Amino acid sequence: MKKFLKWIASGWMLILFFVGFFLFWEYSIPLFDIPRYILPAPSEIVSKGSADLDKLIYYTGVTALETVLGYVIALVLGLGFGIAISFSSILRRTLYPFFVSIEMTPKIAFAPLFISWFGFGLMPKVIIVVLVCFFPIVLNAILAFNSLSNELTLFYQSTGASTLKTFFKIRLPAALPQCFVGFKYAAINATVGATIAEFIGSDKGLGFYISIVTGNMRPDLAFAGIFFLTCLGLSVFGFVTMMEKILIPWHISMKRINK
Amino acid sequence: MNNFIEITELKKVFGSGIDEVHAFGPVTININTGEFVSILGPSGCGKSTLMLMVAGLLDSTSGKVEFESKLVKGPKTDIGIMFQDNTLVPWRTVKENIELQLELRGLNLKDYQEQIDNILKSVSLEDFATRFPNELSGGMQQRAAFCQAMIHDPKIILLDEPLGKLDAMTREKIRADFQKLWMIKKPTVIFVTHSIEEAVQLSSRVILITPRPGKIDREIKIDLPYPRDLKVKRSPKFIEYVNSIQEVFHKYGVI
Repeated sequence: MKKFLKWIASGWMLILFFVGFFLFWEYSIPLFDIPRYILPAPSEIVSKGSADLDKLIYYTGVTALETVLGYVIALVLGLGFGIAISFSSILRRTLYPFFVSIEMTPKIAFAPLFISWFGFGLMPKVIIVVLVCFFPIVLNAILAFNSLSNELTLFYQSTGASTLKTFFKIRLPAALPQCFVGFKYAAINATVGATIAEFIGSDKGLGFYISIVTGNMRPDLAFAGIFFLTCLGLSVFGFVTMMEKILIPWHISMKRINK
Repeated sequence: MNNFIEITELKKVFGSGIDEVHAFGPVTININTGEFVSILGPSGCGKSTLMLMVAGLLDSTSGKVEFESKLVKGPKTDIGIMFQDNTLVPWRTVKENIELQLELRGLNLKDYQEQIDNILKSVSLEDFATRFPNELSGGMQQRAAFCQAMIHDPKIILLDEPLGKLDAMTREKIRADFQKLWMIKKPTVIFVTHSIEEAVQLSSRVILITPRPGKIDREIKIDLPYPRDLKVKRSPKFIEYVNSIQEVFHKYGVI
C-alpha cells in the first residue's frame, strides 16, 4: 500500500498528462467538428468497443499466442546462435557476417511470401515474429559475449578454471545486461511482427480485426483493437523488464531506474 | 640467492613486417623467494607485457620464464594477479568476489571463511563484506581486489599498477595495507608501477626499465627497514634513493 502511494506520488505528473490528453481528445471532437468516421471520441471507443468485447478478447488471445510463441522461439535460437558464434571462430567468419547482412533487410518484407508458402494459419505468423525478434537478440548476444573485459579474461585464465565453469560464473552473468538490450528490443518487435502478419493474411487476431473494421469505416472499433494491441505489447515488454530486474538486479541501469 | 623465478632473455615483438613493434626486451631477471620486486618504468615501456609473459598469459617472442626451474608454458595458476582495472564482478558482494577466486579454483569455501574474515579485517573492509563493488569507493575496490588476489595464498603475486587510478592520499593508505599483508604472508611479489616513490617504499629491489623497447637500465637494492612508514619516507636515505632514480629517468628525458 505504501509502495502504491509512493508510486502514485511519483507518477502524478504522468497521470495528469494522460488525463489531460484524453480530455483534450474527447472535447476537441465536437469543438472542431471532426466527423466520427475520421476520429471517434474516447468515450465512443469505449462504448462501442465494449459491445465487441468477446471478439476483442478472443482475438487478443490469438495474437498473444503468435507473439509469445514467436518470441520464445527467437529467444532460444538467438541466444543459442549468439553463444555459438561467440565461441567459434569459424561461425564468426561465416554465420556472423551473414546475419549482419540479413539484418539490413526489412524482415517484414518476407511476410507475404511466408503467407503464400504456409497459408493463413498460426505457423506463418510465428515465423514472421521469430524473424523480427531473432536478429536483435542474436546480434546483441554476440556483442555481449565478446565484450568481457581484458582483465576478467586474464583473471579467470590465471585460475585454471574450466570453460564451463567460467561460462556460468563469469561470462554468462557479465553478458546478461547487453543480452537484455536485445531481448527488450525484440519484445517491441514481436507484437509489430504479429500484427503485420495478420494484416497480410489471416482470419483472426487483432491485426485481422483492425484491418476489417477499418475497411468497414469503423475507426472506433479500430481504436478499440489498437488499445488491446497496446496492452498486449506492454505486457510482453513489462514481463521482459521484470525478468531483467529479477535476473540482474545488480546492473547499474536497474539502479538508476529505481531511484 | 635461490632464483625462485628466472626470466631469461625474454623478448616481445608485436605484429610482423611493416607493422612490427618491438615492445620489450630482451631482459634477464632473477627473483628470489619472498622478494618484493618493483618493475619501474615510463608508460609504454612494456612493463605490463613483461608481467603477462611471466604469468604465462601472453606468449613471448623469444626467451623463457622459469619458476623453480620449471618452464612456463601457458597460463600459470598458482599465482595471484591484480590490475589497474580491478577484477571484481558487479553481481557479487565483496565477500562473494573473494570467494569467486576460490570457486574458480575448485577450493572448498568452508575452509576459507576465517581467512576471508581476517584478510578483510587487515584492510579495514570487514564492515563492507556484504556490499557490492559499485557501493565502494575506488580505493576500497582496490583493497577488495587485493584480498581477492591473495585469498588462495599464492606464492607469487603479480600487481600491474594496482594503484594507478587512485588519488594520492588513497594510494598512501593502500600502500601501507599492501605492505602489512606482504609482511605477514611473505609472498614473492612483482609490482609494476611508474611511481618512483611507491617503488622505493614497497620494494626490496627496484628494476629500472628504459623507454620502449624496455630493457633493464639498472637494478637498485633498497636497503631500508620494514615497515616503511612516514618516518622512513622522510629519512635522507629514502630521499636519496628517490633522487637517484629520478636522475636516471631524467637522463632518458621521460621526466
